Amino acid sequence: MPENVITVKILNKSFGKLCAVCDLSFEVEANTCFGFLGPNGAGKTTVMKMLYGKCLRDRKDDTVVNVLGYDPVENELAIKSMSGVVQQEDNLDDELNVIQNLLIYANFYGLVKTAAKKQIEYLLDFLELSAKAKSRIRELSGGMKRRLVIARALMNNPKLLILDEPTTGLDPQVRHLIWDKLHQLKKRGTTILLTTHYMEEAFQICDEVLIMHKGRKIMSDTPQELLKQNVEQYVLEVTGSYSANLFESPELSQNVRIEKAEEMTRLYSDDTERLRAFANKLHGAQYYLRQANLEDVFLRATGRGLDDKQ
Amino acid sequence: MTNNNTPNIPPLWRRLYSVWYRHVRVYTRNMFSNALPPFLEPLLFLAGVGLGLTKYITSTMQGLTYIEFLGTGLLMTSSMFTSSFECTFGTFIRLEFDKVYDGMLAAPITANNLIIGEILWAGSKGFFFSFAVLCILTVFGIISLPHSLFVPLIGFITGVMFATLALLVTSFVKTINHFNFYFTGLLSPMFFFSGVVFPISNLHEKIRPVAEVLPLTHSVRLARAICTNRYSASLAGDFLYIILFIFVVGFLAVRRLRRRLVN
Repeated sequence: MPENVITVKILNKSFGKLCAVCDLSFEVEANTCFGFLGPNGAGKTTVMKMLYGKCLRDRKDDTVVNVLGYDPVENELAIKSMSGVVQQEDNLDDELNVIQNLLIYANFYGLVKTAAKKQIEYLLDFLELSAKAKSRIRELSGGMKRRLVIARALMNNPKLLILDEPTTGLDPQVRHLIWDKLHQLKKRGTTILLTTHYMEEAFQICDEVLIMHKGRKIMSDTPQELLKQNVEQYVLEVTGSYSANLFESPELSQNVRIEKAEEMTRLYSDDTERLRAFANKLHGAQYYLRQANLEDVFLRATGRGLDDKQ
Repeated sequence: MTNNNTPNIPPLWRRLYSVWYRHVRVYTRNMFSNALPPFLEPLLFLAGVGLGLTKYITSTMQGLTYIEFLGTGLLMTSSMFTSSFECTFGTFIRLEFDKVYDGMLAAPITANNLIIGEILWAGSKGFFFSFAVLCILTVFGIISLPHSLFVPLIGFITGVMFATLALLVTSFVKTINHFNFYFTGLLSPMFFFSGVVFPISNLHEKIRPVAEVLPLTHSVRLARAICTNRYSASLAGDFLYIILFIFVVGFLAVRRLRRRLVN
């Protein structure tokens, strides 16, 4: 039986009357990458924080939280000493340079100076920051800062790496580099837990995905299964506002699901020919026929409208 | 679930030291702008008062000339102010703006470790700032060595004492501008009514008990006793006051501030 690095059962967190995390249960197997997907305000960050003791969960008798064999309420230090955390903000010390930033954290993990220097040299090389070792934080680009925060979280060779939106706001090059590094870490036995709202990211690096909305688990499975189970294979997107009777064509009478928004109509179906035939009749209209992706699943699960927390 | 994970948790001293070390590294990064002012400020004060005011103040205060009286008081006000700045504005910025604490709390330290490390750091600044004043006073021959060399230790406990109070205030503050009330409302009056610029025996007898309650009064007495090498039994009471203050206010500060760090 594969070992679980994280076991969470019936986890709750409320802020006043608001239920930020409600009855959440999930398990993360060792050496896998587990992704939390959800809109802003879904409660993803709160879950991460509760796992390493930065946030206190509601006290309930049937709640179980076990991270690397420990309960964060009872032994946050054990968990923290074996994990690395990359938070949303790049909270680096601006006054110090790259190496000094890392040295401070080496100290937190009790590394002696020679071991610390060796580890820092290795981490800077791993995240391709060696050339910037002596640079001030102010001189770094957003992507470099992010990589430095990741390097910092790897200081203790963590068994579990928690990343809260690791690639938000980064350019594609850096994003791909980070994905690549996360793949490498997983190969070496690191278990990864991350939150994101980039579907592509979840699809690329996660072995399992949990979609969260308003504090609750909506669905959880491998990305491939989520796609297969929850959305048709193809989507035809038609741009522009059309009257409803345009879509009352015979091709669309069966096996096609229609979703209408103001300026975009989406037609979902497993039958690509049916969609293509309909598209060919749309003279002059802008359309795009594509495979459905995780974003379609996500939007279907969490709805297209915004709520007051987004 | 089997548990074959053996965590490598640094011991308590190491965790406190890590927090302290972080602050030392950040502070010493700008040596010139951070380490010069503590020396310049007393210099400015003594120059202004010494050149101008002393001419008019001919009477002695508790057996000291005015410049001696004021100088020995300044040893403690510098500790008070540096520690108070560190644990109000400094702490608030680390907490709310820079999110430095969030990062630190991902490392194997607890919120309590972090807050106590913070207090020890403020104490160290109190030590250093009173040492700076000590240097200036010695150079100008206002106090004499070697007995005065112990005064930075009082600077340390004064720094610790005001750190606990500042952190308690910080635990209530929602926007950074609120600290202005603390500085003008409490610290500035303390500067004038704790026996720094004139003896509290000159205060109206109804106000005098108020001065006795102010923490700075007790620090100043201890510092002055050390510099003049004149000790009395009542100093034990001053020392006790400070220790008690540190534990009571420190306890409250840790408890309240922890809730802002771990929610």
